[in-house]
Amino acid sequence: MKPCLKLSSLSLLLVVLLGACGNPYKKLLQQPTTSSALRFQPEYDKVLYRGIVDGKMIWKRFHLSGILMFKKMEDSSIRVVLQNEMGVSFFDFEWDKQQQFTVKQIIPQLDKKAVVALLQKDLQLLLMIGLQSQTESTFSKDEETYQRFSLDKGYVYYISTNNQLTRIENAGKQKVTTISLGGKNGLKELPERVVFKHHKANFTIQLKRIDDHVEE
Amino acid sequence: MNKIIVTAVFSLFPLVAWAQPKGYTSVKNTTTFETELSNANAGIRTINSDFSQTKNMALLAEKVKSKGKFYFMKEDKIRIEYTQPFSYILVMNKGQVLVKDEQKTSKVNTKNSKALQSVNRIMIDCMRGTILSNPDFKASVFESGNSYLIALIPSQAAMKNMFSGIDIYLTKKQFDVTRLVMKENGGDLTDMNFSNAQHNQPLNETLFKVK
Repeated sequence: MKPCLKLSSLSLLLVVLLGACGNPYKKLLQQPTTSSALRFQPEYDKVLYRGIVDGKMIWKRFHLSGILMFKKMEDSSIRVVLQNEMGVSFFDFEWDKQQQFTVKQIIPQLDKKAVVALLQKDLQLLLMIGLQSQTESTFSKDEETYQRFSLDKGYVYYISTNNQLTRIENAGKQKVTTISLGGKNGLKELPERVVFKHHKANFTIQLKRIDDHVEE
Repeated sequence: MNKIIVTAVFSLFPLVAWAQPKGYTSVKNTTTFETELSNANAGIRTINSDFSQTKNMALLAEKVKSKGKFYFMKEDKIRIEYTQPFSYILVMNKGQVLVKDEQKTSKVNTKNSKALQSVNRIMIDCMRGTILSNPDFKASVFESGNSYLIALIPSQAAMKNMFSGIDIYLTKKQFDVTRLVMKENGGDLTDMNFSNAQHNQPLNETLFKVK
């Protein structure tokens, strides 16, 4: 009898552990989509952020800081440029009118396929570029509304409370990236603070707005 | 990551055009100029000044402005401290470079990087007046009524990849560096202007601490 008890206890423990490590979106309750998450799509002419990047590649930690600029051009293309404090550009990305992505310039040290793909994805999720509206589904959990779009791999969730977008999550079977948004004053305004946290890649990007020092 | 810091450090140096600039004529006798420059700098032990920086992004038609304090102590100590719109400090001292932002301090040994050695040398050369003898650049000297312009073209591959040139503007009266302009290959420009320069004021050694 005792071995059976032990076995059932272990099974129970396993079920509990699996539940704890399982899909974090499992308990979402599906709701009808009454208002698309695209209502949060940022509208801006230009926005400047102080950016700090921390990460770890294999065993080596790295730290990088600079200034990140978002600009919507007259031809409706979008440019995102990261430069260091002393003015040298690290990268210059473009999404054209058709939302096609191009690397306009990048320093050789960052010109790695995985790095570019990660940055492209992060920025696209924040700017809500390339979302397939027909794949949108809405869910709720506690006080939060989750609006989900399918990506090539996995999903992106735009999570709001009281019609205020608070974070963006990219997940497959597990959570891949969380983008926390702070100080978002208007529905379509880019937030004051953004933190990209890559759960698997051990990589964090922190942004804080410093718009006052941009001139045309 | 050192390479990225090197890239960051490079932005210190104003890079710019090499063609004869408007309002300036070529200085024929650069040996005399170099001697005068070296003599003028011989009596300078320390420099501290304010600076303002404008990054002109050509294709985006945007300018990003920042400002801060600059310190130099003979023979080879430099501190560039950005105060607005962010906090960022870069210290060079005896072949060591320290970079400090709002969250972290990083130290780099220039002995491990030829590019950083080059950066370190050009900064020191600017302050000591020995810039024309730097083998990493081809230098041309121009003059106007009250200023000199040293136009540098990088000859080293690492620098060539990033910049098309560096311009250093000096006053004729005291050979003070008043402006540095860096021109990137893509057409962007970083323009640093130095003001309220003070010579030989006592500076605390801790400003240049890299440990």
